Amino acid sequence: MDRRTLLKNTAMVLGGLASASVARAVLAGVDSGVAVKTPIFTALQREKCSVLTEIIIPRTDTPGAIDAGVPHFVEVMVSDWYTDRERQIFFAGLEALDQYCTDNFEKRFLECSAEQRINALEQAEKDIKDYKPETDGMAGEGEGSLLPGPEDEGKPFFSKIKELTVLGYYTSEVGATEELRYDPMPMEYTDIEFSEIGRQWSS
Amino acid sequence: MNTETDFDAIVVGSGISGGWAAKELTEKGLKVLMLERGAPIRHGADYKGEHMAPWDIPFGGKPLRELYKNEYAIQSKIYAFDETTRHFFNNDKENPYVYNEEKPFQWKRGDVLGGRSLTWGRQVYRWSDLDFEANKNDGHGIDWPIRYKDIAPWYSYVEKFVGVSGEALGLPHLPDGEFQPPMAMNFMERKIKKSIEENFPERHMTIGRCAIQTEAKNNRGACHYCGPCARGCSVGAYFSSQSSTLPAAEKTGNLTTLTQSVVEGLDYDPAQGKVSGVRVIDAQTGAKKTYRAKLVFLCASTVASTQILLNSKSESFRNGMANRSGALGRYLMDHTDGNGAYGIMTGDLDKYHKGNRPNGVYIPRFRNLPGQSQSPNFLRGYGYQGGSMRMDWKQMSQQVPGFGVRFKQSLRAPGPWIAYLGGFGEHLPDQNSRMMLDDNQVDRFGIPQVRFDSAFGKNEKAMAVDVVEQAELMLKTAGATMVKGFTSNSTPGDAIHEMGTARMGNDPSESVLNGWNQAHDVKNLFVTDGSCMTSSSCVNPSITYMALTARAVDYAVKQLHAGNI
Repeated sequence: MDRRTLLKNTAMVLGGLASASVARAVLAGVDSGVAVKTPIFTALQREKCSVLTEIIIPRTDTPGAIDAGVPHFVEVMVSDWYTDRERQIFFAGLEALDQYCTDNFEKRFLECSAEQRINALEQAEKDIKDYKPETDGMAGEGEGSLLPGPEDEGKPFFSKIKELTVLGYYTSEVGATEELRYDPMPMEYTDIEFSEIGRQWSS
Repeated sequence: MNTETDFDAIVVGSGISGGWAAKELTEKGLKVLMLERGAPIRHGADYKGEHMAPWDIPFGGKPLRELYKNEYAIQSKIYAFDETTRHFFNNDKENPYVYNEEKPFQWKRGDVLGGRSLTWGRQVYRWSDLDFEANKNDGHGIDWPIRYKDIAPWYSYVEKFVGVSGEALGLPHLPDGEFQPPMAMNFMERKIKKSIEENFPERHMTIGRCAIQTEAKNNRGACHYCGPCARGCSVGAYFSSQSSTLPAAEKTGNLTTLTQSVVEGLDYDPAQGKVSGVRVIDAQTGAKKTYRAKLVFLCASTVASTQILLNSKSESFRNGMANRSGALGRYLMDHTDGNGAYGIMTGDLDKYHKGNRPNGVYIPRFRNLPGQSQSPNFLRGYGYQGGSMRMDWKQMSQQVPGFGVRFKQSLRAPGPWIAYLGGFGEHLPDQNSRMMLDDNQVDRFGIPQVRFDSAFGKNEKAMAVDVVEQAELMLKTAGATMVKGFTSNSTPGDAIHEMGTARMGNDPSESVLNGWNQAHDVKNLFVTDGSCMTSSSCVNPSITYMALTARAVDYAVKQLHAGNI
């Protein structure tokens, strides 16, 4: 039943007997395993993405998006996984940040201060309020409606960069094992107090 | 054309039923040839997705949309299909079939040694006489030629070998089996169970009965709760052909296995009243060969076995082998699926769970039981599968607005408890729900493609309404908020419990097989997969195929030794 066990998302997700090791010191721009097959990013776009992922998931007492190699993940997804339409929305979104910053701060996004960059991303988030999803992203055909459904290709730039950053971060070794908790061989299914581990399971 | 006659028995298919047929036949000393259309998969060595870490899965686990759309349009809808399991599944582009667009049929297939035993849902529930007598009692379909007492010892026999974990309930309509200790329910599931059992006297909630060992037995390990069974389990905690029946059959020294060997059809010898040959096409070279044996067991899956029979025409059987009744291909059934409800169980945020339990909870059928007032809206019944768990970062990240330190911090704790119930409903046998061979289109081997003409009827749709209402009611009663019912308008095939099309029966004029899964008209031909089913019950069917297969082999070998075959 795990079948429809529902929440493919929650319950199962990705088990793994990783070589669960020390945090791999994955630096931004370092190839974290999978190369981009069809490189299309300009150096500027790459730099912008890198900055954006770190704004979304910054380094705190645990590693941030750049530490986890998320910029590379985002580049792989946009270059090799996105459809043309999604790429178009994504790159237009990057351009719009520059436009917003030029209009408001008379500087391009990368030349802005940290506060101004955050302000620009907050502005981008406002775009999603009026957006009507083309699919609810949940209703898998023939399955319980909690299963992931068709991708919503048309969703705005902010939703796209946030989704990729979150996915890249929490499925990275750093995100899964240092920010969250990862146990590839639990050996049992049992109740625990949340306080015993203090973080959610990454999978 | 070459012929080979040096096998006592041929088993077509290597999945749940074929694996059992091979094990039982070889253990009784017969020399067996197993034919599998798909590629070989070695236990352990070919489970390439097993224990793959999240960071090693391509594209963060996202579907490869272009590829899936072009080559896996049907299989990619399966909950267990992704890049860690894709190599077990059928390529839909290479293996086309047809249906009327208004009546889609989702034919979900494995295409490897072991078939769907590698990726199945592993839920196992015995049938009862409520099921075996259903057709007789309400007049839909024909009566089963067997009753619970005929199959009960065979359930026990297979369950001990399969390794079934579960809880005994003592319910007459969901008989207990040979159980290893049940998996645990979590805090919230126990709370919901208590509410259901206090507020709805005839309803029960139990942990799923599943073909996953909780004790190391049968030369296989116990579950280590890593989660995604469908990637393969090299310790063999769950039952698959690879973990269980194939090693047993190989141990006898009596098994020969040929993979990438597609069965085109069967030859018939009217003088003897027997199958005289199994025609095989080498999937790689296209070479054709005919194999001969004393016994033939068709275990290729419901649709594929009937496709083979329909494609086995002769002077004696102009409409397909063993089809004097005209029932072959008809009475195709599945279960309705994807109807139910979910809701949020507020509070208890200090409680969490550890381990990825590859199993959920089960609410046995509680409608139209003997002695109850019967529903005015529908016949027969349904059971729920479900569960409760904390929402995870994937779900919560879509709910939590913003970004930055606070956003990151908010995802450190799991989201609220969510609870879910989804119903599986019985599908009444209907002669107009059917599969046939297409008149014009053939596949890459020149075999006529399967054409489906099947849809759920009024009874299934009326039942689905109750499935949603009762799921909502039970969740609300248990304290759930934001309860939302859902209806997926599933079509046959979606539940992957397709069955029927070569039904068993007492009367050869209206059924294909007798009470021993033996073709009425072809005494050395046995069909023991889902195609033999005369009705569909509402419980997951695989354990019943296993029990029927073991029982049929026992009968067939006795008849063979007695000189009756």
